[in-house]
Amino acid sequence: MINNEISHESFSARIWRKTLGGVGVKLGLAWVIFLVFAAVFAPFLANSMPLLMSKNGVISAPVFNYLSQEDVWVLAVFFLALFVFRLKIGLGKRVLVYVLGGFLCAILVSLWIKPPVLIIYDDFRSARFTDVDWRIMPPIPYAPSDYLRDLGSKGLEAPLATDGALHLMGTEENGADVLSRMIHACRISLSIGFISSGIALVIGVIVGGLMGYFSGIVDMLGMRLVEIFEDIPTLFLLLTFVAFFGRSLYMMMVIIGVTGWSGYARYVRTEFLKLRKQDFVQAAVASGLPLTSILFRHMLPNGVAPLLVAASFGVAGAILSEATLSFLGLGVVDAPSWGQMLDQAVKSSTFNWWMALFPGGAIFMTVFSYNLIGEAFRDAIDPKLSRNAGVN
Amino acid sequence: MSQPLLEVRNLRTYLTVNGQDIKAVNGINFSIGKGETFCLVGESGSGKSISALSVMRLLPQGIHSHPSGEILFNGRDLLQLDDSAIRAIRGSQIAMIFQEPMTSLNPVMTIGDQIIEAIQLHQAGISHEEAAAQTIKALEQVQLFNSQERLKSYPHQLSGGQRQRVMIAMALACKPQLLIADEPTTALDVTVQAEILKLMRKLQDETGMSMLFITHDFGVVAQMAHQVGVMYQGNLIETGATGAILRHPQQAYTRQLLAAVPENMVRTALIGSANQAGNEPEANQPASLLTINQLKVWFPIKKGIFRKTVDFVRAVDDVSLTIQQGQIVAVVGESGCGKTTLGRAVLQLEKPTSGSVKLDNQELTGLSSQELRLLRRKMQIAFQDPQSSLNPRLLIETALTEPMKVHRIGINQEERIELAGQILESVQLKREFLWRYPHEFSGGQRQRIGLARALVLNPEFIVCDEITSALDVSVQAEILQLLLKIRQERNLTLLFITHNIGVVEYLSDRTVVMHNGKIVEHGATTQVCGTPQHPYTQKLLAAVPRLMR
Amino acid sequence: MITYLLRRILLMIPTLLGITVLVFTVMALSPGGISPQALIGGMDMKPEERKALQDYFNKRYGLDKPAPVQYLRWLNNVSPIGFHTDEQGGYTEFSFTKGMDLGSSFQYGRPVFDILKERIPITLLLNLVTIPVTYFIAIAVGMKSAANRGSTFDICMGISMLALWSIPTMLAGVLLLGFFANVQYLQWFPTAGISSREALDMPFLPHWNDSGFVRGFLLDRIWHLILPVLCLSYGSFAALAKLTRTSILENLNSDYARTARAKGLSEHDVLWRHVFRNSLLPLITVSAGLLPSLLAGSLIVENIFSINGMGQLAVEAVRGRDRELVLSITWVSGFLTLIGYLIADFCYMLADPRVSYD
Repeated sequence: MINNEISHESFSARIWRKTLGGVGVKLGLAWVIFLVFAAVFAPFLANSMPLLMSKNGVISAPVFNYLSQEDVWVLAVFFLALFVFRLKIGLGKRVLVYVLGGFLCAILVSLWIKPPVLIIYDDFRSARFTDVDWRIMPPIPYAPSDYLRDLGSKGLEAPLATDGALHLMGTEENGADVLSRMIHACRISLSIGFISSGIALVIGVIVGGLMGYFSGIVDMLGMRLVEIFEDIPTLFLLLTFVAFFGRSLYMMMVIIGVTGWSGYARYVRTEFLKLRKQDFVQAAVASGLPLTSILFRHMLPNGVAPLLVAASFGVAGAILSEATLSFLGLGVVDAPSWGQMLDQAVKSSTFNWWMALFPGGAIFMTVFSYNLIGEAFRDAIDPKLSRNAGVN
Repeated sequence: MSQPLLEVRNLRTYLTVNGQDIKAVNGINFSIGKGETFCLVGESGSGKSISALSVMRLLPQGIHSHPSGEILFNGRDLLQLDDSAIRAIRGSQIAMIFQEPMTSLNPVMTIGDQIIEAIQLHQAGISHEEAAAQTIKALEQVQLFNSQERLKSYPHQLSGGQRQRVMIAMALACKPQLLIADEPTTALDVTVQAEILKLMRKLQDETGMSMLFITHDFGVVAQMAHQVGVMYQGNLIETGATGAILRHPQQAYTRQLLAAVPENMVRTALIGSANQAGNEPEANQPASLLTINQLKVWFPIKKGIFRKTVDFVRAVDDVSLTIQQGQIVAVVGESGCGKTTLGRAVLQLEKPTSGSVKLDNQELTGLSSQELRLLRRKMQIAFQDPQSSLNPRLLIETALTEPMKVHRIGINQEERIELAGQILESVQLKREFLWRYPHEFSGGQRQRIGLARALVLNPEFIVCDEITSALDVSVQAEILQLLLKIRQERNLTLLFITHNIGVVEYLSDRTVVMHNGKIVEHGATTQVCGTPQHPYTQKLLAAVPRLMR
Repeated sequence: MITYLLRRILLMIPTLLGITVLVFTVMALSPGGISPQALIGGMDMKPEERKALQDYFNKRYGLDKPAPVQYLRWLNNVSPIGFHTDEQGGYTEFSFTKGMDLGSSFQYGRPVFDILKERIPITLLLNLVTIPVTYFIAIAVGMKSAANRGSTFDICMGISMLALWSIPTMLAGVLLLGFFANVQYLQWFPTAGISSREALDMPFLPHWNDSGFVRGFLLDRIWHLILPVLCLSYGSFAALAKLTRTSILENLNSDYARTARAKGLSEHDVLWRHVFRNSLLPLITVSAGLLPSLLAGSLIVENIFSINGMGQLAVEAVRGRDRELVLSITWVSGFLTLIGYLIADFCYMLADPRVSYD
């Protein structure tokens, strides 16, 4: 017979290995990792204040004085994630540790970190900070909200247009540096993507799982609910929510999540219906295993595969939704976001290609990366179209 | 000796899978004369299907290569022909029919159109009406009447046997000289198989065509073949006349294969009173372990706007049965007779509509799931499909120890692992297999693990739902012998569901024959299979292809 | 068959109700709710006048009643079966042929029905033109990719389709407008609207007259529609092309394709006579989901290209917190979506003889 190498890996290990085989996936993952890096370390990458400076022999790091609560929390959570990743405990416990840790950090941060409320960016270009022995500036020496009034900025300018100040991606209408805003906007994009999808996934799995396992009335009611959320024009509902409830980032994340779960519910339901008939599930029932074990140990792990594929595309979709909302003028107001910058590109009379290209390009690259990852997942999981066509 | 119709010389077919070259066919030689039937027999992976596909050159492009060999058909080497030449031969001089009639026909075309297409392809200039007339004649030849209606039917409207007849009609429509049949009856019920085989022999007599018949069933070989070739791992181990091979096999592998056919397997002595079941008076029978009384499992058919129940599918219709301790009871029947549903309903995996099932005098129907869970220790089930019977995510160790943990067998995990190891050894697997995943095992090994899982709770009663139907004949023989061994060791009671009469005759003490949800006959195996009373049983037994005529 | 259709239509009703309840709840729960405050605030009036206006709104639209009552009132107005209302807002007799009163828009001061009547055809035109274009391109690309699996065309198309799918609609629209319709670069296409102002006076078909070539209404429409349709369709045809390719590959490797080859058919015939029709089946299933995504896409496209369709209307209605308009748009688009599903199911039933609905 055929003497294949039989791998002694678990199911998930095999899927991971197959997924990461392709070139496209590596590129996509590289971009996403880059974004994560940019989002976490944004205050160190693009800021108007020096990272480290020495004045009169006294070394100080002004950046740390001005870190906002959000900045610190994001950094803490990032390092917590790395730590939990290294721990050798089961998946459930890891998630628990991570969530609890996140909460703890949030509480600590809100108690301890109190940055100054008002920041005047022009100060950092005054003698107090420039007349020093040496200083190390962040790679992009502009904060996202630094409107550069003192440098006489005139608003929208093409990249490398102004002399004296180096703006790699130009400036936007208020005078702030575009590249700096783009880096800080990574946070919004990533968080919207993950949190919205996370919410949608959780709701979808619960509803879909219940429908798939119990059938009958639960199924019928559940299907009506799914249909309602499917048929409702999502963008429209989003618009309505945002218009009537005001524009807050967290609200948007929750709403994109709450409107997007119907697809996941359908997948989970289909998988569960299939799995219920599978022999190993029947065997689990016949062995008298408790319901929780059957659901979480036998059915769910085998049913998540299409969910992961859908989730990848879902994250992409959430990012697009946010961008669309911002574009329609209903997005986040204060923090920089890619969609908002794209909006500015359209509103003005001249065609500012840099305002369209860079934020638009960033959205495109991010969505494309998630799509590549999702595609690779799908190819790894679906064995039907394997290369040796039809030879059994 | 006239020139043989088909002569295969030193054929090699290599397949490229994931960059590796697999020697699917490794130099085989055989020939088929005019009007002769040649059977290629072998187990899965032996290369018999690939050989057949090579003759027709139907292997997917770019994946296969023929490093050497010639296939001479009427003197022409088929491997050297160009594309249009081989297409002219396909369908008109050599035709092929396949195993799965449902998927082998285009579901969105009427069968009339599909046959007419074949006719029009090879008879240039023929009109549609003429082709239709020929189609009707072809359908009548395979005994499908009501031809006008049939022309307009779709494949899903026909039964499995009818579809296979349509395939045969389509293949024969252009009167080929050679018919290649790749396991054409494996997916069919035994009675339907008998009819199709009879039809094929009749057609061969009428038209004088030759047949290359691929199968894994020696019974079919005995019925159909003039010459036989036994394949193993791409090599043709032995060829010869059917009678000679079946009665006096020369090669060791052939002997081994023939010994594994249930008909040839020797029934070892049975223990205790189970041996004389049916001969002794009732009072001396061992206690009945399982009593099934008027069991009904009906599935509602709902139609109409409000989904009202208009009728029922009577999967199990008023079945009453008693099983004594230590017996092996076989439930046999064709597909759709309800045997699988019966097995599951006994275990309460399928909720019975009415009736009672008593295990050790304890009523099982109507119990709450909590109460039922405690009783599940005593009754277990093993399944048919090795691919889906084990959770692909779990180590074998977890799959075996989890039920133990739930039912509080063993004080701690170490003890449970020890017990699991012992059970693996009792099903003739190595203890270290505990630390592997299901995908690392073959089909036969997975069935053994499935049995191990059933044994882990030390039950009294196991339902075996077609556990050997998906296995090769030699592996099946091993599993059947294993079953007898563990039955003896643990004094188990088995309900063995199958459609294979040979297995029934080898394995079971008592036999129950089911048809359309009802029991038509039951009794000691020797009686039921030796002197069947009910007409259906007689028909069933007559249809089984036997080795010895 | 008829029973199936009836059953589906009956099942549509709770879904539609559910959608409207959801949207109504959102509006009611929002800060400010649906009270006349939101409507009058900002207008510069004396207190008495303001009070009078407020009373008028309350009376006319029942805005001072609690939210569930308001919803029921609205439901009664909208459904063709219900109670007649008189000028004072009281109820008269029940009838089965009341006719549907969708209310009046606060913002525009016109009956919602009239507004919708103007806007819906435009959106429908945009979408109904997009669907065949999308399918045509998707099937062409998908078939060629599948037939030449692994070729350069296949790989390039695969990546391009995925990339196209990833481009956000607004970016594409902005770029298209910016490059193809702008004075600064190429001005091949018009920037806004779906017809030029002169179009209404033009005869339908293009022709020549003394002053040269006259576009004619038809061509003018098409010229205006090219960019918006392109913008609306590219996302969908990327996904569909991939689906087509997968479906065709699966079918090319199927058992019945093997039977067809065994009969002696050439690969070309196997593809076009047998595989093609079977491969289209999943495409029909998917088409059900196409309409909602197109409607959503219309929102953006109409915004960018300044087309006065329903999408544009929806944005304005939401911005203006126009209750009647929002509710009506909601259930109309929900209704269109459900009809879309029904049509898709029906088409599938026609295409696949294995399916029969009882």
